[in-house]
Amino acid sequence: MITLKSKFISLSLILIMFSFSILNGMVDDWGRLSGGIENLFIFFGESLWPPDWSVLEPQNYPVCTTYPLFDFTCSTAWIGMTETIKIAFVSTIFGSIISLPISILAARNLSSLSLSYFARIVLAAARSLPSIIWAIFFVILVGFGPFSGVLAMTIYTVGYLGKLQYEAIEGMNNVPLESARSMGLSKIEIATGVVIPEMANSLISQMIFMFEYNVRHGTVIGIVGAGGIGYYINLYLKFLQYDKVISYLIIIFIVVLIIDFLSISARSYFNEEGDISKPSWWDLFIPKMKRVE
Amino acid sequence: MREDNVVAKVIGKPIVKLIDVEIGYKNGETLVKIPDLEIFPGEIVAIAGPSGVGKTTLLRTIAGLVRSISGTVEVCGRVVPHRPKRGKLGYIPQKLGLVRHASVMHNVMLGANAGQKKEIIHRNKYIQMFSNSVLSLFPSTKAKRKSRDAIEKMRLTDKIGEPIRRLSGGQQRRVATARTLAQEPALILADEFLSELDDETMETVLRGVVTYVKNNNAALLVVEHDVSRAKTMADRLLVIDDGRINPFITEVTMIEVKV
Repeated sequence: MITLKSKFISLSLILIMFSFSILNGMVDDWGRLSGGIENLFIFFGESLWPPDWSVLEPQNYPVCTTYPLFDFTCSTAWIGMTETIKIAFVSTIFGSIISLPISILAARNLSSLSLSYFARIVLAAARSLPSIIWAIFFVILVGFGPFSGVLAMTIYTVGYLGKLQYEAIEGMNNVPLESARSMGLSKIEIATGVVIPEMANSLISQMIFMFEYNVRHGTVIGIVGAGGIGYYINLYLKFLQYDKVISYLIIIFIVVLIIDFLSISARSYFNEEGDISKPSWWDLFIPKMKRVE
Repeated sequence: MREDNVVAKVIGKPIVKLIDVEIGYKNGETLVKIPDLEIFPGEIVAIAGPSGVGKTTLLRTIAGLVRSISGTVEVCGRVVPHRPKRGKLGYIPQKLGLVRHASVMHNVMLGANAGQKKEIIHRNKYIQMFSNSVLSLFPSTKAKRKSRDAIEKMRLTDKIGEPIRRLSGGQQRRVATARTLAQEPALILADEFLSELDDETMETVLRGVVTYVKNNNAALLVVEHDVSRAKTMADRLLVIDDGRINPFITEVTMIEVKV
């Protein structure tokens, strides 16, 4: 007798074998793999390690115009990281302001079929390109610097956050909408008076998630010249100063970890029931299991 | 019997008028056939019957949330699917339909806003619709006063700023009632709005609604599974039966019962 378990095992085996056969078609020489590990040790030992922490010291360029409290606030790492966070913050705020009305138009339970399709196409178009491609596009349009980064991330935020929002709105309880409709409230009143207050928690939680996402992706867009810490990574990569690059990567890792934690804590205040459950540091590595209700 | 009752109540045109209406599901399965039903201003009509017989669907049809399979449904002078004028119809669903994360005042204000007439006349239909919608976002002081009065009537003044999710079931039911009272509709549709209430709360809710209906010449159509309770409050009692109450009937019908 074929049980569900044996079906599952055989299906998994077939999938794994299928993937290996595709990989085999793409790899011409498996011998390169052994050289790869050797290369990694050489690269790590000679170029990457130890990290060059001079990136945390004040530099001649960019010129420090103010007299800071701490010296390291004049370093490229600090300037780059704060710029990345600033880009992420501004584009999350602007992106969510733009995406909210579009997602209300896109939700099938609030607007007509044709309007919702139109709004969904707009959101899908904004989402279809990753933020780094948008960044290249805006660097061409408005030049290098954080401004093109903000524009790129805002567009991507509109697309991504808009989809999250309209899916949340479509999943909302239908009874408040029905009673508002039968009272004769207009669509704008239903959106502002019923949908937004009812969904506020999940909308805020999605916004915080989007900020965290934008910080992570904001480190990449600097590589194409759209501002942030990625600019310096790209710079030192070009000069083959990998020991500086690794120190940037360590800084990014730590900052992303901190923002992840802050995001989880902030979102715990806006969960569905509105009651507070503060996460511990462990939740970053081992996520809490959701309670089934 | 019915004639006497109607003659006694008739003040003007009927608020609800159903002619040869068949109510049921989207796939065309009929639940109830209603040859003729008229509800007049100042009247309290209760619909009773076993569960699953189509009482709520009848209410939803009158509210314009479900289409009837056939026949004409006229509410406040307009034939469904045309909606009654803004704020003319108040609906208290069984699940109340309150905005759970918003305050008591916010919820009641939704009703009061719906009751406010705000009309900008413009030759372009869309400009008129849009400007009226935008204007309706700004509640008048009159709407605020009405909301406070309704909240006070439902004895919820101390809970005015509290979010709905922190209230008990009975308090939530009072909020839903206050929302409808603040709206001042011509017709109230209430779905089992007295169930799961303690005696004192039931008294408050019932007195509030009945006083409003009688003073303002509004009509109340209430669905109630408890026949004895329906008898105490209603001027007319209609029972939908699919053979579970009277085993001799062959098709689902609505019968008028002497109150």
